[in-house]
Amino acid sequence: MQLNSRDKGWCKALVGAAIVALALSLAGCGSSKQEGKATPDQAGQQASVSLNGAGASFPYPLYSKWIQEYKKLNPQVTIDYQSIGSSGGINNILQETVDFGASDAPMKDEQLAKAPKAIIHLPTVAGAVVITYNLEGIKSGLKLTPEVIADIFLGNIKKWNDTRITSLNPDLQLPDKEIVVAHRSDGSGTTNIFTDYLSKVSPTWKEKVGSGTSVQWPVGIGAKGNEGVAGTVKQTPGAIGYVELAYAVQNNLPYALIKNKAGKFVEPTLDTTTAAAAGAAANMPEDMRVSITDPQGDDAYPIAGYTYILVYKDQKDKLKGEALAKFLWWAIHDGQKYAKDLLYAPLPENVVKMAEAKIKQMNYQGTPFIK
Amino acid sequence: MLFLTVLATGIALVPLASILVYVGIKGLPALNWEFFTQLPKAVGEPGGGLANAILGTIILVLLAAGIALPLGILTGIYLAEFGKDRLAPTVRFLCDVLTGVPSIIVGIVVYSTVVLTMKRFSALAGGIALAIIMLPLVARSTEEMLRLVPHSLREASLALGATQGRTIRSVVLRSALGGIVTGAMLATARVAGETAPLLFTALNSRYWPTGLDERIASLPVYIFTYSTTPYEDLHRLAWGAALVLVSMVLGTSIAARLAAKKVNGGK
Repeated sequence: MQLNSRDKGWCKALVGAAIVALALSLAGCGSSKQEGKATPDQAGQQASVSLNGAGASFPYPLYSKWIQEYKKLNPQVTIDYQSIGSSGGINNILQETVDFGASDAPMKDEQLAKAPKAIIHLPTVAGAVVITYNLEGIKSGLKLTPEVIADIFLGNIKKWNDTRITSLNPDLQLPDKEIVVAHRSDGSGTTNIFTDYLSKVSPTWKEKVGSGTSVQWPVGIGAKGNEGVAGTVKQTPGAIGYVELAYAVQNNLPYALIKNKAGKFVEPTLDTTTAAAAGAAANMPEDMRVSITDPQGDDAYPIAGYTYILVYKDQKDKLKGEALAKFLWWAIHDGQKYAKDLLYAPLPENVVKMAEAKIKQMNYQGTPFIK
Repeated sequence: MLFLTVLATGIALVPLASILVYVGIKGLPALNWEFFTQLPKAVGEPGGGLANAILGTIILVLLAAGIALPLGILTGIYLAEFGKDRLAPTVRFLCDVLTGVPSIIVGIVVYSTVVLTMKRFSALAGGIALAIIMLPLVARSTEEMLRLVPHSLREASLALGATQGRTIRSVVLRSALGGIVTGAMLATARVAGETAPLLFTALNSRYWPTGLDERIASLPVYIFTYSTTPYEDLHRLAWGAALVLVSMVLGTSIAARLAAKKVNGGK
């Protein structure tokens, strides 16, 4: 082995390349930072604010739309929202690593007890959970009652041609096939809505399984995310599972009609979800933590829920707090018009009023941001 | 026997080839000028790119390399050249253990130490997490490379009156440089695709990187987030991001091989 000048040259070249790369990346950081700060001048003399949020994946498409539209109106406000799941949203607001959290499931009392200060639940839109299945030749329209759904997911109804299903669907040719249940394996707000519904309609379910973002499923295959459940159902003849409405519509999945409290078989759509939100709005508790599954109303689709943004009532930073309150105010008013295109149900009128009152409680050292 | 080994090698190459082909087929249609120059757009709007994520991944990896390479290489030198005491086997063992720690655990540790202390997700935390994953890889590969340097070279240098420090700098390190560079680049390529530790540390961002104390976008986290949404447009971008990421990793690996060849070329 010999040492020659090439080695030395290489060494220098490498160090040089590393320094240039580092310098470039730092320069890149610097210049874009200036870009970010240049905008407020155009928008009057307001200082630029950046707000960071994280949480539920269900409203991610809508929140990213809101953020983009809001930035057009208020260039000095830069908002970032990352989809990390409802549990992540709750944890991070508790740890104060985000300016706002987001969750599909309202926080439980014991979670709220861990918070250093009072947390406000602000519903932003409502969504629905649909039951999807894989039956050859059968598209959307399978009719199911709450009792039958509970028994399928409990493992009591094992075959598709069980008389309890066929009697509901006399027009359909249901096969002599095993029912394969697919459910979420990860903690999920979708699971929370679905199991909350089953707990309301089936005392056996409530006693044996209960509700929550993840539960001990009596039967079935677990899969991660809406895409996992949808994939399992697509690949398994005779499978049944639950996914959020937007996911089913975007991917042309078949879905079941479900019998609601009023005795009507209801198709999951935006209108029936809005009807569900309205049906439950009458007895909305003061803190807005509410379950709207199995609501009143002829047109109400029974498996629905609000998704929430979580913020501290007493804000630590005046500038940030004010920007956050104003953004949320915009979201529950002007922002609602973007909901339907992305398959979310807008808030009913009386819930908007209640949410307004909540945003008005947000304050900095006792001074509310919005009067 | 020959047939068996060739067959096994062929089968072993199938996953690699199919990953490259599949990612290429799915990812190529997503790649255009916009992809490399634009920020992501909101769902339902056509266009938009992941330029911030490409830059973010580069910054995160450079940051990690900046922390892990000096520490790792020096640790490797210690293990190979000085570590004759009882400390060395312990360090070596700890390095091996650290190599085996699942990356998500590293993410959680950095989350609870750095993120919770700073009260924010940051590029810095992401860089630290990736550096922790890189560190043992770099240390151990450096040590292995130094051990390959024949003992007679060291002795010759010492016999000529060079100090141990001088010997290590001018003789041992110089001879092993190719191997060390290769090890460093492979470790860099290895962390470029890490997702789990970034989810807890750097998180992700819609915007251009603005500072080390801010969230930063990265390709792996965008792939993760976009592939789990219901939207076809976002799936397309995720495939594009996957192709870019695989190309970056592959490019680094190939560059590492070339570097090794070039340095050892004078042999």
